[in-house]
Amino acid sequence: MITTAFPRTIPMRIRPALAPASVVAALVATAMALVWAPTDAVQGDVQRVMYVHVPSAWLAYLAFLVVFVASVGWLWSKRPVFDAIAVASAEIGVLFTGLTLIAGSIWAKPTWGVWWTWEPRLLTTAVMFVMYVGYLLLRSLSLDLERRATRSAVAGIVAVVNVPIVHLSVTWMNALHQLPSVLRPGGPALDDRMLATLIVGVVAFTILYAWMLAARVDLERARQDRVLGSLLLKRAAGA
Amino acid sequence: MIRRALLVAAREGRADRRQPDGLVAAATFVAALVLLESVVVGPQVARASSVAPALYWIALLFAAIVIAMRSFERELEDDAIDAVLALPGGRDALYAGKLIALLGTLAVVAVGGGVLEIALLDLDIALPGHLLLAAALGVVALPAVVILDVALTLRLRARAALVPVLALPVLVPQLVAATNATALALEGDPSGSLAWSGLLLAIALVYAVLGLTIVPTAIE
Amino acid sequence: MPVMQSTAAIARAGAPVPSARLDGAVVALGDRVILRGVAIEVLPGITVLRGPNGSGKTTALRALAGLVPLLRGSVDVAGDLLYLGHRPQLVHGLTARENLAFFAAFRERRADVGVPLRSWGLGADADRPVEQLSAGQRRRAALARIESERCDILLLDEPFAELDDEAVARLQRALRDSAGGGAAVLIASHGHADLDRDARRVYLMHDGEVQG
Repeated sequence: MITTAFPRTIPMRIRPALAPASVVAALVATAMALVWAPTDAVQGDVQRVMYVHVPSAWLAYLAFLVVFVASVGWLWSKRPVFDAIAVASAEIGVLFTGLTLIAGSIWAKPTWGVWWTWEPRLLTTAVMFVMYVGYLLLRSLSLDLERRATRSAVAGIVAVVNVPIVHLSVTWMNALHQLPSVLRPGGPALDDRMLATLIVGVVAFTILYAWMLAARVDLERARQDRVLGSLLLKRAAGA
Repeated sequence: MIRRALLVAAREGRADRRQPDGLVAAATFVAALVLLESVVVGPQVARASSVAPALYWIALLFAAIVIAMRSFERELEDDAIDAVLALPGGRDALYAGKLIALLGTLAVVAVGGGVLEIALLDLDIALPGHLLLAAALGVVALPAVVILDVALTLRLRARAALVPVLALPVLVPQLVAATNATALALEGDPSGSLAWSGLLLAIALVYAVLGLTIVPTAIE
Repeated sequence: MPVMQSTAAIARAGAPVPSARLDGAVVALGDRVILRGVAIEVLPGITVLRGPNGSGKTTALRALAGLVPLLRGSVDVAGDLLYLGHRPQLVHGLTARENLAFFAAFRERRADVGVPLRSWGLGADADRPVEQLSAGQRRRAALARIESERCDILLLDEPFAELDDEAVARLQRALRDSAGGGAAVLIASHGHADLDRDARRVYLMHDGEVQG
């Protein structure tokens, strides 16, 4: 059974602050990334792509983890708010996984001389991307709220469980085939100012995520209310 | 629960024997792919231990999807699935039973396809026992995810396209593990082959448990 | 004619009274509302659900059988439930006998499914794959489940469709016997007004709502 009594996703007091906060955080992070952080001694300015690439990747993983939690929440309680959170987070996750892959390619070409390399982390991210595109496709082809939510929840849970297994298997495969491990963004040798910039970037992206999530959840809730509301109106009119 | 699952699997097996279209389609598909491979890349490349197992498992993966989709199609004729879902414990039994049935049918296709591939490509087998184990565990590792995705797309339009899209990325680890376990058995690396076989077993357990926990409620 | 076994009385002596309840059920498919707060109670005896095509009878039965998720409301079932939809629900590739034996084995019933199949007029044809049977034969094979599974709650969707006069009489007898044995029977049908005489309750559905 679906209940309409639901908690708001993000407490109302914080909500209005999210938009200005993410704008300010984005400006600060951009300034730090472009001006304040030192130029990389080896790679040059191209290394600054990292400040987009790494936070996007963090956000993608965070978003899919939220999809997982929300999917479990839906199967557990059948509250529509969980389904709204799941779809919102999945869309944002796909967006930022795409951004991660594109930024990674842009960074890889001048640094390694190739757009793409078959490295475990890249491969896992690519598989994850395809998996959640499939998730959104499954959603778009299902019609009614309850069934769509249940089916997507199953797909959302399977996808998250699958990510570490994919990573493990391709890491094993690479170890076996002794492919060169080229990808070492950051590492212990990261300059203090670079690290600070990266942290601010991650924080900025996370605030942006919260803002986008809240907005998208509201949209989905409005859509759900329209369907559920029309049900109740018709019922009242017929009674 | 196990008794009921076996009843569903037996029902499936019986229907399969009378209407073996899923099995025949899957076996033909695997055979065609093995032939195509040799024609396209040439028998010398095709028999390489890095190529033959990969192709074999990709073929089996699609065969599993074909068999599972046919099996649920039969379930939709005359609304047969409704009668099973309305039985007490019917949902769990349906998922588990379909899983067991797919395992059986896939094993037949795997043996047939394997023999064909070994014969046609004249494959050298360094470790037959390890090869058998790898093949068996590969067959065990595929059905849970395939049945899950076919069940999720039941009655949806475009499901013929949607099932591979959903299943393929999730099956990447199974494919990688089965391919490597098989390749190393052909090449003669016993510990490597066993390690991958172990991973296959672990993956099979994870998805069987996960599938049984969350899929039955989603079947309708 | 074999003696009908009184369904629930034998199988469930001392068990709680079988019942199936739908309360405030709201069901939607996409943006279309099929049930708008339906309450139906099925108790021992015969309950009839009437209404024109598209009024929600089928969905109400499916909701009681747990086959459609509810947006609101609740389903409450006490007892073994047999749901026969308006299609026979027999899996192709199996004979009628094998289909019924599967259901009986699933419920751990030890009855010989051959007896009810013969009494529903499927003697030799019980051993032919169901896809080779006529629509009427499949229908009767499905109805034989009433006796081979002996459930104490029966949900039947348009059970008289595709039946000849003899089979209609046979079904009416089977339903009366079941009800007499203590089973709770719900029949969705828009014909056979004589059913109402035997019914303990008649619900009338219209546009997703129960009107009486």
